[in-house]
Amino acid sequence: MRNRTGKLFLLVLTTVVFAACGGRDESTVGEGRITVAALESAYGSALWKEVTQAFSAKTGIEVELVIDRNIEDVIAPGMQAGDFPDVVHLATGRERALTETMIKEGALEPLADMLEMVIPGENVRVRDKIAGGFLESSLTNPYSDRKTYLAPMFYSPCGLFYNANLLEQKGWDLPSTWDEMWELGDKARAEGIALFAYPTAGYFDAFFYALLYVVGGTDFFDRATTFTEGIWETEEARIVFDIIETLASYTERSVPSNANSANFTRNQQLVLDNKAIFMPNGTWVTGEMRDAPRADGFEWGLTGLPALEAGGDSYSYTWFEQAWIPAGARNKDAAKTFLAYLYSDEAAAIFARSSAYQPIVGLGDMLEGENSLFYSIYDGGTKAALGAFATTVPVEGVTVYDTFFAPVDSLVNGSRTREMWVNQIKRNSDLLRAALK
Amino acid sequence: MKKNSKGAFIFMCLAPSVVLFTLFMVVPTINVFRMSFYRWGGYSASRTFVGLDNFRILFSGDMRFLQSFQNTVLLISVVSIVTFGISLVFASILSREEVRGKNFFRVVFYIPNILSVVIISAIFSAIYEANNGMLNSIISFFDRTREPVYWLGDNDIVIFSIAGAMVWQAIGYYMVMYMASMASVPESLYESANLEGAGKIHQFFRITVPLIWSNIRTTMTFFIISSINLSFLFVTAMTNGGPDGASEVFLSYMYRQAYTNSSYGYGMAIGVVVFTFSFALSGIVNLVTYRDPIEI
Repeated sequence: MRNRTGKLFLLVLTTVVFAACGGRDESTVGEGRITVAALESAYGSALWKEVTQAFSAKTGIEVELVIDRNIEDVIAPGMQAGDFPDVVHLATGRERALTETMIKEGALEPLADMLEMVIPGENVRVRDKIAGGFLESSLTNPYSDRKTYLAPMFYSPCGLFYNANLLEQKGWDLPSTWDEMWELGDKARAEGIALFAYPTAGYFDAFFYALLYVVGGTDFFDRATTFTEGIWETEEARIVFDIIETLASYTERSVPSNANSANFTRNQQLVLDNKAIFMPNGTWVTGEMRDAPRADGFEWGLTGLPALEAGGDSYSYTWFEQAWIPAGARNKDAAKTFLAYLYSDEAAAIFARSSAYQPIVGLGDMLEGENSLFYSIYDGGTKAALGAFATTVPVEGVTVYDTFFAPVDSLVNGSRTREMWVNQIKRNSDLLRAALK
Repeated sequence: MKKNSKGAFIFMCLAPSVVLFTLFMVVPTINVFRMSFYRWGGYSASRTFVGLDNFRILFSGDMRFLQSFQNTVLLISVVSIVTFGISLVFASILSREEVRGKNFFRVVFYIPNILSVVIISAIFSAIYEANNGMLNSIISFFDRTREPVYWLGDNDIVIFSIAGAMVWQAIGYYMVMYMASMASVPESLYESANLEGAGKIHQFFRITVPLIWSNIRTTMTFFIISSINLSFLFVTAMTNGGPDGASEVFLSYMYRQAYTNSSYGYGMAIGVVVFTFSFALSGIVNLVTYRDPIEI
């Protein structure tokens, strides 16, 4: 009898343990209900709560919103067990690289039919509402097969941010070429101001892509980002490396010490304190540093990367986030309706109130304050740079970040020579080329 | 019948821990070993069996892995030796000597242990700060013309800066452990040593250390395991592996490969190396530090 009680106890215990390990309650997700997982970024969480409520009111589809600053940690365990959210708003470039992993694994739902849908509450197709260039980017068509797998979201011009008031006070002109940039660097150095600082080496991605455009235009960018054989031995590549090497020598020496996710705002503070002139960044930096102390009369300015020579093209990288539907999602149709709704004027206006701007036609009317200045960067002749390195299958031990961007820290502190950096780029590019998808 | 019911009782007592241990320790460990033979991103159904390929890549040319290996070994050695030395000496002073404010020091030394690693990292990031940090301010007090030391920004120094924070965090914990075992050393031994004219240092090496040796051996294993685990937390919170991978350690590199580089299988291969390495090192340390127990 006692033995039977023991076995019963063990059975109950095992059941409890397995139940505790179980996934989400299946009954909570049905046809008229979707799960949306969104990253709580610098824009906050209110915009997502508001937009999902507005969507439910418009379509009758209920939304279970999961929002977190580390959304990957919240949804990844379930995803590994096959329990996928229906929509995920999470950009590439995060340390956990969940979006990149989904791309590399081929685990995303194609969005062709979503692009043909009429936006809920409007009479326009999604494809026609999204601004030009975004649907042709390698960030939305990761496999270069003209199929869209990622929906472009919240775009932001990236470029060199500076204190406009400092340049005005000192009587220094904004450099329009790299030669003028170095001249400015010498003048600033004489006054104890560094020409350049960067938050983390990761911010060199947008900088590097724009520089590829500046030096060799679209053709060179395409060849470089697909790791074309011999590309890093060309004259254009030499100029790119020259510029970054020279820029490293003009960089504030303490930058690598704080170039990490915990202390990067100290590097941004250098610009606010007039200790450095330029830093590569995106429009979110103004919100990020909203409460930080700053030099008297500080005024944000944004410029594109200078041209190679007078009259040449200046470029500013257009950074944007992505939303996607996992191939394993259960409610794909409702998920696509939700994605389509995100491009409606109603949703865009909700996002705009938190300074998150959707890449849609007619956005100009929603811009306010300094954002209207930043987003008008392309009106002054600066060209938009879009795209990123092509998708490869994972190459063990090799990442684009470690290969191209992280060594900038070593160039600045002198631990690595330019030759060592370029040799690593050549070596790893061969491996990445062989792994192109 | 009585024997049977005793067996059932033991079975019932052991069953919960055995089930939980198997489920949460044994099964995941086996899974780590199994997944190290696959190429898999972590989220899809497509897994490719690649045999020992992940290990071949790991040891044939992954310089970042070798750097993380080197850094981990350095941290285990430096942190263990320095922490061991300081905490043993402090423990001896606080338990054997009549120091004013003894209890105050006990509490002060232990405080770092109850702080979270994130807070300790923030404190040390501020201490190491290049332009206004405490360390550089002290240095500049003596030499105003000297360029600041980039404690977290110099590839050659950064790992020692992290070791400094780890030592500060660990001293109190080990000190308390040593003090606890020093308390059980009979006072009469020290009294007779005093009568025979043995000095303090002589007493420390001939009485204290031999009599707490089993405790010291246990802490050796703790040093190895905690250095591997805590170094990941400190590196993540203080440098993110930077600058340029110079402070990368075993677990931070494993995380970066498994997740950031979408190479889950490769990450698990690193996990297998870490597991084997820490097990082997603990075994070796255990073996070479074996001494016949001293009976009084």
